[in-house]
Amino acid sequence: MAPDKTTALEKTGMTNLNEERIRQIKAETGKPVIGYLCCFAPPEIISAVGAIPCRITGIPGGDTSAADAYTEPYGCTYVRNILARAIRGELDFLDGLVISHSCDMVQRLYGLWTYYHPLSYSYLFNVPHQVSPWAQRFYQRELHFFQESLENFTGEKANPGIVAEAIKTNNLNRQLIRDLYELRKAVHPKISGSEVLDLLLAGGVLPADHFKQLLLKKLEEVQSCKPEGSPRPRVMVWGSIIDDSKLYQMIEKAGAVIVADDTCIGFRVWEQDIPLTDDPYVGLTEHYFVNFQCPRTDRGPGKKRFDYLVERARQYKADGIIGYVISFCDPHKFDYPDLRDYLKIEGLPMLLIDDNYSFEPAGAIETRLQAFIEMLG
Amino acid sequence: MNQSEMSRAKRHLETTGKMKEMLPRFFMRMMERRFSNEPLAWCMVGVPPELLKAFDLLFEWPENFGTMCASRLVAPRFIEVAEGDGYSPELCSYVTNTMGYCKLFKEKGEAPEESPLPGGMGTPAMLLGSGFICEPRWKWFQSVATRFFDVPVYSSDPLAPPWDIDPADPKIEEHYLTLLREDLAGQIEFLEKQTGKKLDLDLLREIMALSHQALAYWRDTLNLRKAIPSPMGSTDYFHAIIPQMYLVGDQEAVDFYREMYAEVKDRVDRGIGVVEDEKYRLIWFGLPPWFNMGIFNYLESLGAVFAYESTYNVGDHFEVDLSDPLEALVRRTWQRALKMHEYGAEAMPELCNPAVFGGFVGSDLLAELARDFSLTGAVMHLTRSCRAVSFGEVHTRNRFAKIGLPSLIFESDMADPRHWSDAQIKNRLHAFLETMDKKQKGDL
Repeated sequence: MAPDKTTALEKTGMTNLNEERIRQIKAETGKPVIGYLCCFAPPEIISAVGAIPCRITGIPGGDTSAADAYTEPYGCTYVRNILARAIRGELDFLDGLVISHSCDMVQRLYGLWTYYHPLSYSYLFNVPHQVSPWAQRFYQRELHFFQESLENFTGEKANPGIVAEAIKTNNLNRQLIRDLYELRKAVHPKISGSEVLDLLLAGGVLPADHFKQLLLKKLEEVQSCKPEGSPRPRVMVWGSIIDDSKLYQMIEKAGAVIVADDTCIGFRVWEQDIPLTDDPYVGLTEHYFVNFQCPRTDRGPGKKRFDYLVERARQYKADGIIGYVISFCDPHKFDYPDLRDYLKIEGLPMLLIDDNYSFEPAGAIETRLQAFIEMLG
Repeated sequence: MNQSEMSRAKRHLETTGKMKEMLPRFFMRMMERRFSNEPLAWCMVGVPPELLKAFDLLFEWPENFGTMCASRLVAPRFIEVAEGDGYSPELCSYVTNTMGYCKLFKEKGEAPEESPLPGGMGTPAMLLGSGFICEPRWKWFQSVATRFFDVPVYSSDPLAPPWDIDPADPKIEEHYLTLLREDLAGQIEFLEKQTGKKLDLDLLREIMALSHQALAYWRDTLNLRKAIPSPMGSTDYFHAIIPQMYLVGDQEAVDFYREMYAEVKDRVDRGIGVVEDEKYRLIWFGLPPWFNMGIFNYLESLGAVFAYESTYNVGDHFEVDLSDPLEALVRRTWQRALKMHEYGAEAMPELCNPAVFGGFVGSDLLAELARDFSLTGAVMHLTRSCRAVSFGEVHTRNRFAKIGLPSLIFESDMADPRHWSDAQIKNRLHAFLETMDKKQKGDL
């Protein structure tokens, strides 16, 4: 499949910067880069076998026409965006790919991507949809299969001790991220939501020690920060993948401060340490499967499944919730009516932005954000 | 939506015509049991109906109810109620049909008057879901139980290996079989608890034997459609799936499919086709537009007949040892997963089907089907609200193009007629037939 030369590369600043970073690290270390979407396939295992995990991001609003020859127009625009990037050759720095069966569209992306555009290494990490004991056992076995296949690719073996070390290293960063989030509980947060998101996006591509330096630097930098003025309405963001800080900037520009989030690349991944269990795969199962709050996993009926979210909103003193859902994102869209009703009972107003992964038309979104934030104020 | 553009199907077989008497009899039996307050389970395709039968459980299929609402053109009423409740128009219209129905049911305390079945779908005592095919199914019963009926839910999770993993690797096989076995055990434990009955394995074995007999007749009937002219079209095909849903494990279903086989065989022997002048032999992909099944008759009037459908397909023959009926259920599911894999599963879900029929056609199977069924083209229904089934149609079109078979993808929906654009769709179908004409004449 030849790259589509007619399509301009519309890289955003952070994507561009992060992908330059990964190319540089790859050149320096000589290690293979394994791209991943969603983190059911733990990045700790990728680094434990001598590869560099790299969370793949799209280009919101970018051209997806290159995907049209391979997939239907009705489908997650984020997935179409990633496929178009792969077809155009923009992700040629990847040596391998692991996609987990998180949602149906991502799973289908794997088939088409690897069929039309095979990579040196690829693995579909299958994930059950519920957390029954047998589903947990399946997930744990899948961790071993994944590791074994990666070991065969990189030629490096990782024993449980090495995996445990990778977990410990990443847990240090989890603590630093929690420190950053803690600052957001203040009346005047010392760091904005968009800054935090940019950091987390960088964390998706940087090796753990590089990321640690970045986090330490940011923590030091914000200590001297003394925000002033009237407190602004505090919002928490919930929803599908947000891999660009443009929406957060729009929310902040509209007058709110983003104090917390519950999205794919956000606190979901970093909130808790991975438990340091005797068998590290047990801890990975608990963290990335049992406790990972993605609506694709069935946690039974009832509104209790949103308790964690309400608790987080209370901890960060959020005045309201802004939901962001990408077109055709079934797991989030199905949850919306239940969540909206529950938040209403809890006295938390909610605004839903239904978007095609473009943040357009920006004017209309801004107007709705302004109206909602004014109402919160 | 202009309702006058929608037309009901005209069927060609006498056997399917008999369902006019058979189904009301069945539904009356169900109603009597409901009035006796027997517990009712709402189930999804993917739950082995043999198991329901073995528990002598009263069951209803919201998906099938969705198709009936669609064919009676009442689905938009229910879907609009759900949309008013916050459900996106992009979501599966079978689900939104259910959600709107449930809301009205709860408001009125009884089935809405528009319901196609007498008494509609009754109040469920339990919900039996299945993750087979798609993820909306995980959210569907979760929401029903959250918003409308606070009843126990069990959803099974039948996973299958991805297209590039070797399922013959004993480690991989055991990995997946273990999950299938444990999941089935969980399903049975749930059913035993909810019904207060112990599963009778001997009864299950008998039911499965009858079910497989019926399936074998159905499979053989479908193979008869290789004949030219094709003796059976899509209107009979899509209607004839119903006994396998409701009457599985009954002698009545075996008799129905045996009779159907005999009738279709007779048509083949006497050279009777669906259309007199069969000009185009097609394969259908996707869910049908249940609100406008007459579209198949419209195509027949132009000399086009479908000889194969990708959905609700009974699939290949499978060999299972019924001595251990639970292991037989697992093995049946696994054999189907292996077939799906063998046929090219790169654009398919990693989910396998524990039920009696399913869908999807593997990409490596296309050339074989084109040859065996003498196909001249493919028509694919891209259903906006069901990406699970319509995903892969572009890929299938690409694969067909490689073997020189023309295909058409048109957009609408399976249950929501508001997405049907009659003039536009018919124009496209006409243009497609012309393309096949030109190809047959060598002009393309």
